[in-house]
Amino acid sequence: MALTGDLKTFSFVDILQVLAKDKKSGVLLVEWKDMIVAYYVKDGQVVFARPVDKVFRVYTDRNFDQLLNKLRIRKEDAYKTVERFFIPRLGSKEGIFSFTPGFIKYESDVPVKYPVEELIMMASRHLTEEEVERKISDELLIFEKTPDADEKVTRANLTEEEKKVLSLVDGTKTVADIRKEAGLDRLTVDRALYGFLAAGIIRRKRKERVQKPSITLDLLTKIIEKIKRL
Amino acid sequence: MKEIKKIKIVVAGPFAAGKTQFINTVSEIKTVTTERKTTSATEKSVKDHTTVAMDFGKIKIDDNHELYLFGTPGQSRFDFMWEILGEGALGIIVLVDSTDPKTFHEARKIINFFQSRFPVPIVVGANKQDLPNAWSAEDVKYALDISDEEGIPVIPLSAKNKEDVKKVLLTLLEIIKETLQA
Repeated sequence: MALTGDLKTFSFVDILQVLAKDKKSGVLLVEWKDMIVAYYVKDGQVVFARPVDKVFRVYTDRNFDQLLNKLRIRKEDAYKTVERFFIPRLGSKEGIFSFTPGFIKYESDVPVKYPVEELIMMASRHLTEEEVERKISDELLIFEKTPDADEKVTRANLTEEEKKVLSLVDGTKTVADIRKEAGLDRLTVDRALYGFLAAGIIRRKRKERVQKPSITLDLLTKIIEKIKRL
Repeated sequence: MKEIKKIKIVVAGPFAAGKTQFINTVSEIKTVTTERKTTSATEKSVKDHTTVAMDFGKIKIDDNHELYLFGTPGQSRFDFMWEILGEGALGIIVLVDSTDPKTFHEARKIINFFQSRFPVPIVVGANKQDLPNAWSAEDVKYALDISDEEGIPVIPLSAKNKEDVKKVLLTLLEIIKETLQA
């Protein structure tokens, strides 16, 4: 199933998050104002970028290794296309994206110089105030580190400011507390939290309080039976 | 006159997520709506009318009980209605238009809103799965940052399909049952 959308309302941080969580493979096509670029994704990692004049050209090459041979690009140098055609555009908001999973065949490993966690953090540094508000919407939100946070942090190449923000995430402090204690401007803190959330470094802390439903089991069973019969 | 006990489930979600349709599909009465013409250009481009206070549909359980499905208005400017409608609800269903990623963030905010005020079970319905460009329920889950620890299932559906709507309702009711038995 293709994932499509507009970068104005669904940023690269969000796109990379979805690709990374499910370790997707396929091609992310972005139609920018000035060019169309196909980004090749393997197991959630962006491994190669290729500008194309026509969209259909992307779908004529289904074997990644053969494609690189055809383009005379060494696999070890594929990251340079990511540097050239992806990283400088992480802050751009003008583009339509569509991700087609699974049609490209990767016969062997491709070196990853920029892990997706690092790309997510790079992209998060371009988020506007309006964009960060989409996820960091409530200053009473509490985050905690995920069980594999340390492993992901090693791949995220955090700035000193981001490290400081992360050190304040402890499962008890609210967003308001972190903003206050970090001693950084609010947008920097919120961008970092947004990036951590997307990279799977932190997650929302689940509320322990669960309200006991005000209904008897007999009545609930009756409702379930009724719905089944509808 | 015998008083009939009302049991409430809230159907929330962003603008044009399909809440009114969801209720229409299973309600035993003609859904009571409070629709007005959309005013902003953005909203008009999506649909002509929108819910401004609430929708409600009803399912008779027995002679003494009725299940009410309350649909909230989608726009956050009506969030005072979310608060009113959420009070006393047995559970919350948050519908998302799976074809429209620009509304996913709004959906997450709605989940946060209900989570922080009403600690009751929540189920997300990834609606409009019958349309060709719909994101899968799994991808909607990732885009909404729903972690497994949150215990919020994301169910694929088309709100026009009665069996799909029943599945979402039953998933919520089963979680409520588990909570009750815990």
